[in-house]
Amino acid sequence: MIFRAVEDADLIHRARKGDVDAFNLLVSRWDKRVFNYILRLVNSREDALDLSQDTFLKAYQNLKKLEEASRFAPWIFRIAHNEAYSLLRKRRPEVDAGEGLPPDHAKPREYPVELSLAAAAALDRLSADQRETVVLKVYQGFKFEEISEILEIPVSTVKSRLYTALELLKSELAPTARRSFL
Amino acid sequence: MSCSPYDLRDYLFDELAPAERTDVRTHLAGCQSCEAELESLRLTQSALLTIRDEEIPQRIGFVSDKVFEPSPFRRWLSGFWLSASRIGFVSAAMLSAAILTLALRPNVQDVHNNAQPAAQTVAMTRAEIDQRIEAAVDARLTRVVDAAVAKAVSDSEDRAQKRTGEILAASAKHVAAEQAEVKELKAELFYLHSVNNVAMVSASARSPLQ
Repeated sequence: MIFRAVEDADLIHRARKGDVDAFNLLVSRWDKRVFNYILRLVNSREDALDLSQDTFLKAYQNLKKLEEASRFAPWIFRIAHNEAYSLLRKRRPEVDAGEGLPPDHAKPREYPVELSLAAAAALDRLSADQRETVVLKVYQGFKFEEISEILEIPVSTVKSRLYTALELLKSELAPTARRSFL
Repeated sequence: MSCSPYDLRDYLFDELAPAERTDVRTHLAGCQSCEAELESLRLTQSALLTIRDEEIPQRIGFVSDKVFEPSPFRRWLSGFWLSASRIGFVSAAMLSAAILTLALRPNVQDVHNNAQPAAQTVAMTRAEIDQRIEAAVDARLTRVVDAAVAKAVSDSEDRAQKRTGEILAASAKHVAAEQAEVKELKAELFYLHSVNNVAMVSASARSPLQ
């Protein structure tokens, strides 16, 4: 994903030389996306805010480790991913980050009126791994290669998780959406 | 299932090369099943996108706010200053500084005797000399002025006293003169009375039977 990559690269270059304002500008560009990404993983605004803070702090501290400035987006989301899963492990110590949270097998509820509520509920029923791939693809717009880099899993695994999730979402949301949109 | 030459989900998510996308579009034009499948995928995606991003509840603390927080040494230093032991440390430091200052402060005479003192020492000594000279001049001037004022006051008092004496002496002399004149007038009056008595007695004697 290339999102203002040139400008971001310049900012990163300046930040590496100690230009704090450059990094601050970089934060202002990405904080909302990082916050919402983490929010959809941890389902807590307070935790998402704290984790976003920690994400940018670690990003700044490790900025020199970023080999390609143009790869800042997947890199910062990788940090955010690690931060979020660090919290999830504390919440559910028995759950390994690679396995993700167990899916909710409760009977699907219907939200015919509010499509967004239905979408949120459908997302909640996905496993953590599936939900994360959906968030990274649908909401954050990353390419498969970038998601692979963020999650440190093969592209084939990314596609498998995403498409499995997409089939589940489609079965739940497409009829409701059809009624709403068409 | 889709019979598209390429995965419709890859097509949906723009993961196909331009040529592959063209092939899919060609296929979709003649395949209602794949067209319906793609529509379902788009509806699902649209449903998911009804969940809007939330605004950050508060500003992310920027680097300047957090990254540059005090180093461990500064944190220790900060904790030290907030502790009670700082008073003892400050006292000891001030005492040490005072002792050091007294020990290193050059004597003025030494500075004069030293042909090439350190520049800083010279500067300090000269400043001190200037200060001392200024103080001595001020003291000397104060003494002279005080003496002059005292003398002026004394002279003024002497002159006033002398003048007063002169005035008193003149007054006394004038009174004495007045008293002498009064005495002289009394004497003359007494003499006239005597003459007058003598004349009356003589006239009585010359006139027989009045």
